[in-house]
Amino acid sequence: MKTLDRLFENGARSLAKRTSRRSLLACLGQVLTGAALMPLLPIDRTARAQEPVHPTPAEQKCDYWKYCAIDGFLCACCGGSSTACPPGTQPSPITWIGTCHNPADGRDYIVSYNDCCGKVSCGDCFCDRNERETPMYRLSRNNDVNWCMANADSNYHCSVSVILGVAEK
Amino acid sequence: MMRAATVAATLVAVGAQAANPAQDYVLNCMGCHGAAAQGIPGKVPPLANALSRFMRTPEGRNYVLRVPGAANSSLSDEQLAGVLNWLAVTFDSSATANQLAPFTGREVAALRRQPLLSVLATRGTVVHNLATTGPSPPSQY
Repeated sequence: MKTLDRLFENGARSLAKRTSRRSLLACLGQVLTGAALMPLLPIDRTARAQEPVHPTPAEQKCDYWKYCAIDGFLCACCGGSSTACPPGTQPSPITWIGTCHNPADGRDYIVSYNDCCGKVSCGDCFCDRNERETPMYRLSRNNDVNWCMANADSNYHCSVSVILGVAEK
Repeated sequence: MMRAATVAATLVAVGAQAANPAQDYVLNCMGCHGAAAQGIPGKVPPLANALSRFMRTPEGRNYVLRVPGAANSSLSDEQLAGVLNWLAVTFDSSATANQLAPFTGREVAALRRQPLLSVLATRGTVVHNLATTGPSPPSQY
């Protein structure tokens, strides 16, 4: 036992000679500072950067006038709005473009229906109106196509409708 | 993502005249070719700084009027000629498209109904030949 006591005593004294309480504080300070700086490292946090979207009740109803040619789940029911994709999804670069009549002002508007891609189907607020759709022999006028086909992740999640301008007759 | 909102910012200036190639483009072509006729790499060929280069030679004009997107479009011959001429002038950074002979409805009618059986192979040949006489569009997209 004496040997063990001497061994531990010598070890403790040796450590005390080489270090100080200040060095312990310095080391502890480094650890705490490093932990505080961790959130500042360049890590992709775009998914959390999404600001909350608050769609209007009208945007969540299939009979909303600008949904006249839509075919899919309304993004306004899926965490987005009628013009913004939900967090974690990307708008499709290929779109269906049509015109819808706005009964409020009696004008026709050009509307782009972009799919939001990158997550599995939303499943809420399915809306299938497809006015002036043509069969598949004219693909650009058929709305059963998955417009996410050109996205890196071609999973379809939901659809938005974006007004591009007033249609002239 | 909120970037979808940028789609909303892509407002299209649509003129009020009877012949309206800008609106014809939006309703019939823009869904795939994009608001700036930029195309989609690997999927959809660009028209910007490409269409006007095809228009330099009879072979290039023949190709443009027979590609599926043009030949099968629901636009009339006159409308298609108008859209192509508008595109060539609007989306050409070299500003030389004004010096090219515009397409006419008659020219469109004569060519668009002849099926183009091998689009990519024809494009490669046409682009190769264009490159020997001046600026050419990309052979790949």
